[in-house]
Amino acid sequence: MTEYCVEARGLTKYFEAFKAVDHVSLLVPTGSIYGVLGPNGAGKTTSLRMTLGIIDPDEGTSRLFGGFKPQNVRHRIGYLPEERGLYPGMKAREAIAFMGALRGLDWGEGRRRAGDFMAELGLDRVIDEKIRKMSKGMAQMVQLIGSIVHAPDLIVLDEPFSGLDPVNQERLETLVRRERERGATILFSTHVMAHAERLCDRIAIIARSARRFEGTVDAARALLPMQVRYTPRDAAGDVAAMLPPGAERRGADWHFAIEGDAVEPLLARITASGHGVAGLSISRPGLHDAFVHIVRQVDADFAADAAVDALEESAA
Amino acid sequence: MTPVFRNIFVVARRDFLAIVATPTFLLFLLAPLFMIGMGALGGFGASQLADSARGAGRIVAIADPADIEPLRAADARLRDALPGDKPPTLELRVADADVDPVAVAQEKGADTYAVMSGPLAAPRIVEREAGSRSGAYLSLLATDVLRDRAAGAVAPAAPRFESLKKGGTSIAAQQGLGFGAVFIIFLLTLLLAGQSVGMLAEEKGNKVIEILAAAVPLESVFLGKLLGLLGVAILFIAFWSAMAVGGGLVAMTQLDPGAMAAAGAASAKAQAASAALGVAPATGWPFFVLIVLAYFIMSFLLLGAIFLGVGAQAGTVREIQMLSLPITILQVAMFSLCSGAANAPGSSVATIAQIIPFSSPMAMAARAATDDAKAVHLLALGWQAIWVALVIYLSVRLFRSGVLSGRSNWKFWKRGAKAAVAAAAAAEVAAHR
Repeated sequence: MTEYCVEARGLTKYFEAFKAVDHVSLLVPTGSIYGVLGPNGAGKTTSLRMTLGIIDPDEGTSRLFGGFKPQNVRHRIGYLPEERGLYPGMKAREAIAFMGALRGLDWGEGRRRAGDFMAELGLDRVIDEKIRKMSKGMAQMVQLIGSIVHAPDLIVLDEPFSGLDPVNQERLETLVRRERERGATILFSTHVMAHAERLCDRIAIIARSARRFEGTVDAARALLPMQVRYTPRDAAGDVAAMLPPGAERRGADWHFAIEGDAVEPLLARITASGHGVAGLSISRPGLHDAFVHIVRQVDADFAADAAVDALEESAA
Repeated sequence: MTPVFRNIFVVARRDFLAIVATPTFLLFLLAPLFMIGMGALGGFGASQLADSARGAGRIVAIADPADIEPLRAADARLRDALPGDKPPTLELRVADADVDPVAVAQEKGADTYAVMSGPLAAPRIVEREAGSRSGAYLSLLATDVLRDRAAGAVAPAAPRFESLKKGGTSIAAQQGLGFGAVFIIFLLTLLLAGQSVGMLAEEKGNKVIEILAAAVPLESVFLGKLLGLLGVAILFIAFWSAMAVGGGLVAMTQLDPGAMAAAGAASAKAQAASAALGVAPATGWPFFVLIVLAYFIMSFLLLGAIFLGVGAQAGTVREIQMLSLPITILQVAMFSLCSGAANAPGSSVATIAQIIPFSSPMAMAARAATDDAKAVHLLALGWQAIWVALVIYLSVRLFRSGVLSGRSNWKFWKRGAKAAVAAAAAAEVAAHR
């Protein structure tokens, strides 16, 4: 088994004058769940499309399963695009079998598996309904089943959770985990951090067309200092003196941030100060905070660059 | 089945069923009834006009002045005495050195079934069909005049029969066949291939195109769609061919109950049909029918691929409609060229029409009617297949680089310029920084 199921390097795409994707690389370990996160319009979908060979990159390459061009291993891929699409006149069972047949699955086997999947997801009552009669969420689940009915080795899901109610989101998470247990590699994009936090082994954050972070969820969270809420038992005297600069008092509580290696020295200072501890909470920030932090930093850098450009232009 | 063919088959199957398994297909299938009804009405009117203009059919006797009245009297006697259908009206002409009986038989404005000329004892009878009742009647007239004149036993006239079919006129008829093939291919292609212009609009509208593009090569999608529609066209043609054959058989049984017994004898029917038509294409009927079908398929694929490729670039129904017109004009232009080719086999016009890929199927079908060479058709089919592949390839390239990349603008010729401007701008920005 190869180390990386997906090896996309330096993917770049221009849409006329706009650089939609700027040298994005995605290395997805085989058998992992990998999240591509980013704000709207960051270039996630275009990156995934180039990774799968649906559109050609202007620069960069994409290889799957240890060196194959995506076009040569289509039958091993399952893909749920961002813009959902099904033939409205088709029945759910036929739509799923058709999508499987496109990837080389026998029609009869596709119909049989469609029945199994639909029953598992509690949708068996609508299996012979036409797509046009289904709700948007149901149709989305049908399309998702169609993406995995041929048991692909790589499943690529573009914003799979959008449009689903919480119950179906939970079902989808279960399905994703089960597919990983089957041996599939899952690559999905989202801008909902909770799903990524619960599911992903590794993530890439894309903002302003370029990849800004790559690593585990914990590594992303570690980009931000720990958040501390301290409530002294005895607030008399100068509590702020023993706390890091920037500590902020809100009622009886003090809020401040510390690096990971500053926890024990902080505890030692509190103990020695005699203020005591009525309450103490030290926590890592969530992926949501890390994501917002990264994206804001990128935005700030862009704003600074633009200001410099404007100054240089006016000077010239 | 190889993956490529399997992919094409999956797409074609879906499209075929999506079209056929709908109530609107029934309307589509029966649409020619309206055309036939209107055509029959028009044809009936035209037939009435033509009949009134030219009168009934005729037989002609070209005789010496002395034989004119005896022939007229013999005709008056025998016409009433003959059982069954009466012979066509007898037209009598005085013999002249310049009168050519074959030319008389081919005169426009009248259906001439037989022409008798020369001495009554050994007349020359030119027939429209060999062994016709009209030729025999003219021979009988000559014998009757001789018998009346001799007032006793006399040897019957010994006519020398000629059939127009053997008289070298079949080339014109074969050209007519060629033109018929051109017209049929043009009409069917116009009616059926044009539908492919909107085929990808469905996928673009319901966003299925991305699923297809991710799952199979776009070439398979395009070719699969074309073959799906071709399947519909073949079904359409088979339905109406079966209706025509069935209708013909029913008509035959109405005329002759014994014909039902012979209905199963296909080869006899083919011969009978050939005899009824009075002409056979140079390559023979079985080969001609098959090759015309093959050329229809190639013409359908060629024009369908253009329609599909252009339609794929369109973003709205209005654009699709607008883009259909130039292609239809192209079709009509090719039809005009091929009509000229059918009427002038072996000419440079015919050669040009046979080479131009979009007129080649029609022009080659016309050639099959007048030229017995068969191997050249394999070459032509191969040439046309190359162009089908080329058109699909180019259509896919345009589609990938334009629509699928999020550029809905169908003005593909502007994309290259815009990309160059973008690259230059990017380079300038990079240098500036």
